[in-house]
Amino acid sequence: MTKIRLSRRAFNVAALTGATALATGFGGLSAFAADKVVKIGITVPLTGADAEDATLIKDGAMLAFEEANAKGGVHGYKIVPVVYDNGTATAGQYDPAQAATNTKKLVSDPLVVANVGPEMSGDGKAMSPILSEADMATITPASTNPDITNPKMAGQFRPKGKAVYFRTVTTDAYQGPEMANYFKEKLHVKSVFVLDDSGAYGVGLADAFQNRAKKIGIKIVGRDQLNPKEADYTTVLTKIKGLHPDAIYYGGVAQAGVKLAKQAHEIVPKMIKGGGDGISGGSFLSGAGFPAVEGWYSTNAGPHLTESPKAAKFVKDFKAKFNKVPDDYSITSYDAAQVILAAIEKVAKSGKKMNRSNIRDAIQNSHVKTLQGTVSFDKNGDIKDRTVSVFQYRHDTSHPADDLTAQLKYLTVAPQA
Amino acid sequence: MTAWDVFLQQVINGVSLGAMYSLLALGFTMVYGIIELINFAHFNVFMMGSFFALWALQAMGFVGQSHILYGLPLAGVLLLALLATMLGSGVLGVAIERFTLRPLRGVRGTAPMITTIGLSFILYNIILLGAGADSKNYANPLPNTAWMISGGATLRLREVLLWVVSLLLMLGLHYFVRFTKMGKAMQATAQDQEAARMVGIDVDKVVVITFFLGSALAGAAGLIFGLYYNYTSYIIGYQAGLRAFTAAVLGGIGNIPGAMLGGVIIGLIESLGGQYIAVRWTDVIIFSLLVLVLVFRPTGLIGRAAPTRS
Repeated sequence: MTKIRLSRRAFNVAALTGATALATGFGGLSAFAADKVVKIGITVPLTGADAEDATLIKDGAMLAFEEANAKGGVHGYKIVPVVYDNGTATAGQYDPAQAATNTKKLVSDPLVVANVGPEMSGDGKAMSPILSEADMATITPASTNPDITNPKMAGQFRPKGKAVYFRTVTTDAYQGPEMANYFKEKLHVKSVFVLDDSGAYGVGLADAFQNRAKKIGIKIVGRDQLNPKEADYTTVLTKIKGLHPDAIYYGGVAQAGVKLAKQAHEIVPKMIKGGGDGISGGSFLSGAGFPAVEGWYSTNAGPHLTESPKAAKFVKDFKAKFNKVPDDYSITSYDAAQVILAAIEKVAKSGKKMNRSNIRDAIQNSHVKTLQGTVSFDKNGDIKDRTVSVFQYRHDTSHPADDLTAQLKYLTVAPQA
Repeated sequence: MTAWDVFLQQVINGVSLGAMYSLLALGFTMVYGIIELINFAHFNVFMMGSFFALWALQAMGFVGQSHILYGLPLAGVLLLALLATMLGSGVLGVAIERFTLRPLRGVRGTAPMITTIGLSFILYNIILLGAGADSKNYANPLPNTAWMISGGATLRLREVLLWVVSLLLMLGLHYFVRFTKMGKAMQATAQDQEAARMVGIDVDKVVVITFFLGSALAGAAGLIFGLYYNYTSYIIGYQAGLRAFTAAVLGGIGNIPGAMLGGVIIGLIESLGGQYIAVRWTDVIIFSLLVLVLVFRPTGLIGRAAPTRS
């Protein structure tokens, strides 16, 4: 037994030496010097209910990296994206345990200097402490739970003290409450039933919405929690029907959201229904489809960009490259990648060592012009802009039913407190 | 809706859920009754059944709610889809028995049960890789017909359909087991395999038939699930399977009427518990009940219908 193992190891060593020699040989031929490579992680749930949205986020960052490489790299550095899937088949959606494993893999590779992701706050809560230990920054283009960057919870999420979790979107501390304002001021909702999907994001968002709603005089007729693996929500919807509130607010992502929308369409078709950025995307739209999604309100924790002229070139390039229509979080992801690329350039130009700590410091002091405007962060990693956009699903029969830009109508910026 | 209407509506919801759990529980109970094996692959035979049905409906040209049918054409399409699904799932069940469980028959200990857990993962991953992880919009030719009863509560066509199909299948199974020659052979095998073999019963054949029937019923449950929720996904087997397994234990595993009763009880607990306590406690209530039954009435509410082994 031992003998075999030894010889196998010897073989591995030989193979590895050979491979390295080959790689070095080819490295010399390519445009980049072999040592001028930096890796950037991308961690989003590519398996499960949110795969469609996650792929759009991944592609946004990929486009930025490919554009940088096409221009000859960043100050001589070639960018190598390292993509890890935060979703698992067992969870059927994002899986915090997998996110932690992926983060450990990233920090164990010294060439990885930063990360784009995660999409989901549940993953973010698992990743942040590991990143803090490694002093490696991540920029999330989509996760909005405020706890992770809350200085009061720094001991839990950044035990080393420095901010490592940066965002190119705002948090649920604004997304939830501003939607409550919208419900009250624009939709004249007087009573609401609040649901969440038992995930870190969903619970936090629903709580933030509920607290604000209560404060501005919307009656909370009930609060319950959906199990995202459960198929049947008729029970809770029947209960809601019996309580007849004006509206339902759902904090959560697509896995439970899709089933909720389908069954709500049958049981409480006329009730006002709304949620956050977890249902603002292709996964929710194509999973539930029309007529079930008709009328649902959703928000994004950032400005609406895909239809703005500033992003026109990005949208065109994205379509040409991936044959898909990007969503707003493809753009926040592209922006996150731009911030990291700018940090790499800054570190390279300053002559400092190209390592995680220096990249993190450069990101912290970012002042980068991106598609959504100038991105800069406060000392906790949160973006300074606090815009929340409101959308509504309205069937536009002149476009394909899964064309998100056509079917999800941008309404307005949510009223801020 | 008055309080009474809400209660009535939740009973309708609960019985519908229960009918589905019952169909699924029958597969567990029959296999356990014959070869004393808890077949965890059954979870995902059900899941695959819902995909077989989806593909059958798609092959007939149904995508989403694009064509709505009424009357005889509807009955014809559903019957065809039901037959295709039951056949597909039945054959899958037989293949599982023949290629993975028969070689292990007679092996003591937990090896066969562990094998079924492994199989469950294989089926799950086949669909995950083959059909993708997103939730599928179900092909649905059913009209959204609903009847108002007692003021606020409504009874939908799909609920009626679910009840009728489940009831017919369960009655058919009951008749088959009680009155046909093969059914009697099944009962004999359940009582004593050795003795059944001695009197000339082909035990292998009985086991194959059992797997076929149990899996076909799971397939039927899969079709009903898809039509009822308008949705399927590779992940549906776990929750429904676990509840159905609880239903089988609750009614007395190995006992066919027990499985039906157990399913309906679990369905009602789920809907009424959700209404009067909270949905987030549903699993706690159901599985506490499972523990209580296992502690105080290990043979289930009805107990084993077949005479005890010698």
